[in-house]
Amino acid sequence: MTVQRVNKILLIALLAVCAIWLIIPFTMAVLWSLVDPSEPWTADKVLPPVMSLFRWTDMWENSSLKSALIASYTLAPSAAILSLLLALPTSFALGRISFLGRELAKMLCLLPLVVPPFITAIFFTSLLFQIGLSSWRPGAILFAHSVLFMPFAIRILTVSFEQVRQDHIDAARDLGASHWARFKVAYLPALKPGIFATLLIVFIQSIEEFAIAFIVGSPDVVTIPTLLYSALGQDYVRPNAAVLSLILVVPNVLLMLILERLLRSANPTLSSGKG
Amino acid sequence: MVAIKIERLTKKFGDFTALSNVSLDVQPEEFVTLLGPSGCGKTTLLKLISGFLEPSEGSIKIGGTDVTHVPPEKRDTALCFQSYALFPHLTVRENLEFGPRQKKIPASERKTRIDDVSEKLDLTAQMEKLPNQLSGGQQQRVSLGRALAMRPSVILFDEPLSNLDAKLRDQVRIEIRRIQKEYGLTAIYVTHDQAEALAMSDRIVVLNNGRVEQVDSPELLYHAPKTKFVADFIGDANIFSGTIVGQKGENIVQVETAIGTIEFETPTAPTSKKVNLCWRPESAVIGNTGIKAKVVHRAFQGHFTDLMVETNGTIFRVQAKRVEAQEGDDVQLSVAPNEVILLDQSA
Repeated sequence: MTVQRVNKILLIALLAVCAIWLIIPFTMAVLWSLVDPSEPWTADKVLPPVMSLFRWTDMWENSSLKSALIASYTLAPSAAILSLLLALPTSFALGRISFLGRELAKMLCLLPLVVPPFITAIFFTSLLFQIGLSSWRPGAILFAHSVLFMPFAIRILTVSFEQVRQDHIDAARDLGASHWARFKVAYLPALKPGIFATLLIVFIQSIEEFAIAFIVGSPDVVTIPTLLYSALGQDYVRPNAAVLSLILVVPNVLLMLILERLLRSANPTLSSGKG
Repeated sequence: MVAIKIERLTKKFGDFTALSNVSLDVQPEEFVTLLGPSGCGKTTLLKLISGFLEPSEGSIKIGGTDVTHVPPEKRDTALCFQSYALFPHLTVRENLEFGPRQKKIPASERKTRIDDVSEKLDLTAQMEKLPNQLSGGQQQRVSLGRALAMRPSVILFDEPLSNLDAKLRDQVRIEIRRIQKEYGLTAIYVTHDQAEALAMSDRIVVLNNGRVEQVDSPELLYHAPKTKFVADFIGDANIFSGTIVGQKGENIVQVETAIGTIEFETPTAPTSKKVNLCWRPESAVIGNTGIKAKVVHRAFQGHFTDLMVETNGTIFRVQAKRVEAQEGDDVQLSVAPNEVILLDQSA
């Protein structure tokens, strides 16, 4: 067997896998979302007998999808930014100041991540109620998300701060740079990938977070995960679930593209030894 | 007026004294090198002058102004870093412009400076490139140019050649000196390489364990080292301690050492009987008189032959042209009294 032939077979296999994992489920979701309630799609038919956009308009108008989208897409970026801001001073200390027990402090900052999220959520929620932060629910969720995902932010930013080169800071200072100019020229280029990564990771974590959003938020605040759980769990209607998942795919694809761009542009300057 | 006046400068890090009681006057347009082994305090002294460290005691004046507690961003000094420390995300032009921009220099004046610097350093073709697209030598020049664009009254160098290969190093060495003279800059240059120091400097400050051992011109340091440390650190030296046994004529003192009697010339006889002497390997003359020695190692070096010879169990170094003696041969050698240097007793 020639190499070309092996390649051809492998290529076909790859396409088949892609079809099975991506195209078929996606097509199925699209088809299911188009099923008109007047006649059900039974197993003996290849295509739904009556197709319409009824489910789409129905879900958009009669479920809490709109408010859930607004809640989630306000909450997640806010949590990302807040978490970033809260993590910056700690990361600076861990990354740039040498003190006794620094390694221990770094480990302690990561510790919250090893506890199962639901357990943290329950205890964190009771804490929120005790300090009276539960009166404004969106605020409570925002606070909880920012604090809970801070370990990611601290970890990423600490590494970024460690990568800032002291000689760049010194050179900027020697050339007469003010604090802000020093930050811009010596810190920011090294921190940039870390800042993007932090924002993205906290954003994704917050978008996906169910436990706290559910315990603290329900029934007033509905986020996408809580809506999904209720749509899929309580009143399971397959066409409605299909509509929901298709709507949720769009931001995911966008995020993926951003991540891809980010990884490509990540740190070309610092990766070179000199300069 | 002195360009830099350093008085009784001491720097302590906790219990460790990095620099102890250093005083130094640097004249305008002078090229002064701080030379010493690692840990001698030369970098600490440079950081004190540039402002990155504050002294525990003493003062620094630049151009008559006391800058002891002035931070680096407000000092009229510019530092060339060992690592170059170019901003990797900025082009060569932006790197060169960074300093003048911080000082709020008007755009037209900035342009004049940058054009001037880039031309003098042969960087005009590289202006829009990023630092990582340049060779090591070019990066070095950008780093020098960035300091020059500040038009500082004092330029400081922190081992700027240590990342270059040997051939380039010679070339850049000449270039640094040329630029320094052209701009009429007062320069402080830190290195651990004695050849570099000898070749470039107007004066050399030899530091050891945080103290100044000797400050002199390269010629004087080589031909008249004051201490054992300087004699040994700069070039090769045969150092012997001995006892004065007699005097010959007016100025010549005879000293009994491990390898025999050595004579040295001095206008005033030393007060103590015990003395330390040194002479350079190339001062010895191989002939038919003087100290008998056996050649233990011979290395032909081209323009001279390097011999390690032994007398009474003491091994020392002799360098001469056209040596016929082979390893194992016996030779006789003498050192002219005016080539023998009397070292400080204390060190």
